[in-house]
Amino acid sequence: MNAEHQSLQAERILVTGSNGFIGTKVVETLLANGFMKLRCFVRPSSQIGRLEDVLRRYPAGGDVELVSGDLLSRDDCARAAKGVSIVYHLAAGSDKSFAGAFMNSALATRNLVEAFLEQGRPRRFVNVSSFAVYSNLHMKRGASLDENCPLEDAPQERYDAYGFGKLKQEEVVREYGKTSGLPYVILRPGTVFGPGKKNLSGRVGIDTFGFFMLMGGSNPLPLTYVDNCAEAIVLAGLEKGVEGETFNVVDDDLLTGRQFLSAYKKHVNRFFSVWIPYPLAYGLCVLWEKYATWSKGQLPPVFNRRRCAAEWKENRFPNVKIRQRLGWEPRVNINDAMTSFLSQFESGSK
Amino acid sequence: MLRAAIVGCGKIADQHMLAIQRIPNCKIVSLCDQELLMARQLGERSGVSECFSDLAVMLKSVSPDIVHITTPPQSHFSLAQQCLESGSHVYLEKPFTVTAREAEALIQLAETRNLKMTAGHNLQFTLEMLQMRRLVKEEFLGGRPVHVESHWTYDLGDTNYVGPMLGSRAHWVRQLPGQLFHNIISHGIAKLSEFLDDDITEIQASAHQSPRLQALGGEEVLDELRVHMRDKAGTTAYFCFSTQIKPGLNHLLICGPRNSIIVDHSCGAVVRNRDRGFKSYLTFFVPPLLGAWEHLGNARHNFANFLGRKLYQDSGMTELINCFYNSIQTEGPPPIPYREIILTARIMDEIFAQIYGDRKASGQLERIQG
Repeated sequence: MNAEHQSLQAERILVTGSNGFIGTKVVETLLANGFMKLRCFVRPSSQIGRLEDVLRRYPAGGDVELVSGDLLSRDDCARAAKGVSIVYHLAAGSDKSFAGAFMNSALATRNLVEAFLEQGRPRRFVNVSSFAVYSNLHMKRGASLDENCPLEDAPQERYDAYGFGKLKQEEVVREYGKTSGLPYVILRPGTVFGPGKKNLSGRVGIDTFGFFMLMGGSNPLPLTYVDNCAEAIVLAGLEKGVEGETFNVVDDDLLTGRQFLSAYKKHVNRFFSVWIPYPLAYGLCVLWEKYATWSKGQLPPVFNRRRCAAEWKENRFPNVKIRQRLGWEPRVNINDAMTSFLSQFESGSK
Repeated sequence: MLRAAIVGCGKIADQHMLAIQRIPNCKIVSLCDQELLMARQLGERSGVSECFSDLAVMLKSVSPDIVHITTPPQSHFSLAQQCLESGSHVYLEKPFTVTAREAEALIQLAETRNLKMTAGHNLQFTLEMLQMRRLVKEEFLGGRPVHVESHWTYDLGDTNYVGPMLGSRAHWVRQLPGQLFHNIISHGIAKLSEFLDDDITEIQASAHQSPRLQALGGEEVLDELRVHMRDKAGTTAYFCFSTQIKPGLNHLLICGPRNSIIVDHSCGAVVRNRDRGFKSYLTFFVPPLLGAWEHLGNARHNFANFLGRKLYQDSGMTELINCFYNSIQTEGPPPIPYREIILTARIMDEIFAQIYGDRKASGQLERIQG
């Protein structure tokens, strides 16, 4: 973090989703870098133990303002955004329905953006999105997936409510950027991992049928260690001259699905798994999709070509733009990140 | 071609959309939500371009034949009234209304205007419930039911729903007279209403909070409910709602003077229990084998339904909507008798009065008129 970034330490900063897996790290990164005027937005129903642990570790943590509310309430958004100049918007809808995902992502963001423009002193709005917005269906295997790649144009066909919500959320942010001058930056983290998140990413494989299926296997995973990701997010709120830009967040030296699963099995527990090569996975997904259509949804199209490509196709994930424009680099290398991730499974670990 | 509209474009509207799309000779012509973006997101996914944020404007400009109302229950009465007054038939999601008085008023309005209504008791129309109804019609029970039991469980693990509700006293579920119960139990109560007559002479409800909900911070929200009932003809009923029972128990037991039927929603099964006497030790061997045969028959039946593309999620909703639309087109009786809709609402009123104590519980429902 450079001197220019440090000069913003007195700015009032709002973090939504501040008790989440990434949100707590963002708060921690800000506190560790001397930012003191923090406001953390949490849902009334949230168990905020994880956030409180972080706040206890820093002297300035006691001054952090906790605002409880619902982003679907304009009044709550107004309270949260009052006097704020930088927003880190990490709150995400985990609802599995399309309507729920839209409501908790796009509508919530619309409310927050409007409150920020009315009640805040808008300097930067960092919208944390996801790799789920991309479509690589028509990309070749081995091609690079970067910020210029096409976005998903049929999230319904992909049966991905989360991706739909994130796509619509981005649309809201871009629209306000265009019509109201919202100074936004969009970040699209890949698969964020680290202590605190124990499940295997669906990009490695699936256990839907009672045993684990390693899908593809040779596909690099767009991994980003949670500390690295949080630093990228923080930088996006501070770096000058990047308004309106979009950045992918992925670490260096990415592991493949097979490498990740192998390390997981070695350190966590051994279990039976079956390797499904990508062409076979694709064929099975085509069959599933066709059956879902023929049966009028008796089986929902949870497996389909779009999802297969998005999660298991062998693409490369460069991080050139974020390095060049934000000056970000993954501080924790992939080996240390894996060690830290796997250590949470050791007996006695929290 | 029936022209339908949906008011309230939240989660449940997606299910209505899918169900309506499965039914021939109808189409969705417009969507309405007080938050226009919600209407548009559903419209974008379903190819419906007419989206509104004002019901009056939608009714005037589109004049749908049928309106599906899928908003929170507090708005049901006024929205349904508006639709009926403008000449549309109404499918009203459960719970039908907040009070029985509202339910009666709406049904009266519909009848006056020669329009039809139905309640979103879609689980009354699942494949297993249809099979049960065929058995009852064939006199399998051997007469009027002696006793009926409805068990209904709900998994608190789904924090998407419970979390926001517990987190805010202002949440619409917390504002209902029966709170959590009000939004969920009508499915289970409606099953009993089908077999009880209108004259309920006895009703006793008790409720408490489970340790699990207490741990989640539910404060005054109750989540365990037990109800005993008896009608004038002597049929008794028991209703159990629980968030604790595992595995989930969603079933209906109907005991007749000769045989009984168990309808298990969890696995889509209908189990027939026949009154048969077996001598000596055969009592211990034959009935379990017959039970196994019965379950095997259910597995075979479900597999056949799967192959026939009938075993999809929400088949009950599709069937109910189909029956409702048919009743409109053929001017036949509504799929759920109005008597049952009103009785369900009255039983719920009495339960909430007893457990939340906002008035002295009578323990007896007034006779339903008409």
